[in-house]
Amino acid sequence: MKMLTDIFGIIFTEAFAFSIFRITTPILFAALAAVVADRAGVTNIGLEGIMMISALTGVIFSAWTQSAWIGLLCAILLGMATALMIGFFALKLKTDIILAGIAVNMLGSGGTVFFMYLASGDRGYSANLASKVMPTVNIPGLQSIPVLGGILSGHNILTYLAFAAVLLVWVLLYKTPMGLQIRAVGESPNAADSVGVSVNRIKYIALGISGALAGLGGAFMSMGYMSSFNTGMTAGRGFIALAAEAMGRGEPIGTMLTSLLFGFADALANNMQSLGLPQELVAMTPYVFTIVGLAAYAASTLKKNRKKLE
Amino acid sequence: MKKKYLSILLAALMVLTLMAGCGGGNGANSGSNGGEGGPLKVANIVNGNLGDKSFFDSCEAGLKKLQDEGLITYKTFELGATDADQPKWVSTLDELSADGEYDLIVCGTYQMDAYLNDCAAKYPDQKYFIYDAEVAQPNVASITFKQNDLGYLVGTAAALMTSSDMEKINPEKVIGFVGGEDGPVINDFLVGFIQGAQAADPEVKIDSQYVGNFYDTGRGKEIANVMVNNKCDVIWGVAGGAGNGAAEAAAEHGIWFIGVDSDQEATFSASQPQMAAATIFSGLKNCGDGIIYMVDQLNAGTIQWGKTTQLGIAEGGVGLTSGGNFQKLPDNIKKALDEVAPKVTSGEIKVDTAFDESFDVKGLRDSVRP
Repeated sequence: MKMLTDIFGIIFTEAFAFSIFRITTPILFAALAAVVADRAGVTNIGLEGIMMISALTGVIFSAWTQSAWIGLLCAILLGMATALMIGFFALKLKTDIILAGIAVNMLGSGGTVFFMYLASGDRGYSANLASKVMPTVNIPGLQSIPVLGGILSGHNILTYLAFAAVLLVWVLLYKTPMGLQIRAVGESPNAADSVGVSVNRIKYIALGISGALAGLGGAFMSMGYMSSFNTGMTAGRGFIALAAEAMGRGEPIGTMLTSLLFGFADALANNMQSLGLPQELVAMTPYVFTIVGLAAYAASTLKKNRKKLE
Repeated sequence: MKKKYLSILLAALMVLTLMAGCGGGNGANSGSNGGEGGPLKVANIVNGNLGDKSFFDSCEAGLKKLQDEGLITYKTFELGATDADQPKWVSTLDELSADGEYDLIVCGTYQMDAYLNDCAAKYPDQKYFIYDAEVAQPNVASITFKQNDLGYLVGTAAALMTSSDMEKINPEKVIGFVGGEDGPVINDFLVGFIQGAQAADPEVKIDSQYVGNFYDTGRGKEIANVMVNNKCDVIWGVAGGAGNGAAEAAAEHGIWFIGVDSDQEATFSASQPQMAAATIFSGLKNCGDGIIYMVDQLNAGTIQWGKTTQLGIAEGGVGLTSGGNFQKLPDNIKKALDEVAPKVTSGEIKVDTAFDESFDVKGLRDSVRP
């Protein structure tokens, strides 16, 4: 019982709520990347690798140019290029897209070490690269509101961008002709083809957008969350994002909610250890949330379907 | 028809080169086993990557030093750290052993001990060193470090810091420990840390948490953030790369960070001055010095194969950095450290170890939580 009140004592603090948004940011970017690709019928399993590559790119270029913004731009562009590379292998050379994605993930873990070594002589951690970080933003007006200001103001600019991207992706998918084509290609490529939509072109575009979003997630890791690049630093966030997208049924808003759920579970896990719960148990928290979430979702659709039948 | 002959020829060639490889290897082996001729040939297997600025780099530096002194020649095989790299660890170990080209094969970490155990049994004529792990085979010499003694020193300093009136120190007597994995090596650091801290000031509370791996810097940072909320003002990061996350949190919140394995203040100072400024000192685990110590033993003929050599403070295996921010410590803390170190070495102060399976790490951990 004491444990429960302790947990609630942690959940209802400003610092805890603030940390949810910070932890959610990289997952949300990558999950939106998964949404766009998935809706166009391409499975971008290489998100993790793209994030790693972009995280390193951001650090290298911001160190070279001494501008965080140029670093960010390069991270986005390289993320895009990497995703298009997956497209090239899968769409043009007809390899299995899952294999192409796995290859990118391996490139992300091994290749980044190699390129960091070339760029700076470092291999594990970018100690010799004086890279820049993206600024944090205090929102005037909002920041002076008690509690809410403490939770919502003062985040990294990329955190705000991640939530803005939810809206942008929603608009893209549902309010633009391009979005209609993306959804058409994803749902029935043959039908789309029959009305003159170039299926591969749309898939390339979706992958490009997907790569840019994953690139933003990677850049956040090394230029916002942290101020340097460490080997393996994305630590599976690209895969968690795939789960968040699947749980969010490929809808931007739903995916945002599931990403937030993962962020919440992660933040909770970080706090539960200090209460003396074993680390292994705590590390399961996000996955327990996933299973419970999926079960609840399945139960509700089942109910709905039954009602429909009646 | 032509193709057939060609393929037979190629196959024959391959078999020949294989045999040639074996022959050459055996020759070199027997030659150097004779002792007198030339420096020792050493293969260094790194089941991770160099450039970690601590563990493997330290080992590499030790070998480099030995090579510069003309005692050995060595070659490093860098194999990567992830699960996907693991098969390479075994195969490289096996190939190098089968080759017999090297007089000595060096590897490290508790992730390698099971593999080495099998391999050493298979190739009884090959000699091996393993550091930071133990293998009980007659052709292996194991080197372990008394990280619990190191932890004791760090704990002593951290507890006295949080009770002092140094800058960045809050009134609450709480210190933190960010570990990599909940396993014996990391817990050995922790046990010493807790016992040192409690001995220095029984009122000090220790918040200990684990990242769950050695690379998730983001989680390292989040955990350190949580500790800051719990009023920690000194945090020791023992989590490899993930420890850098804890250093970032310490720099952001204006508290002290303690580094591990290598001089992290020096590493950070290259491009992250605010993190360097937050690092008060580092607890060193000198893998390189350990290997130098063992090679010296080997050359002196006093090495004990099949045994484990524990390197502590006196042997230079573990210790604290003394330059940089360390000098900011108040004199009473430096004095306390000078008094404690010889007592730990002599055994007057007995530090428990997490390798003792009957020792209740969890109980100790929970008993000192804030």
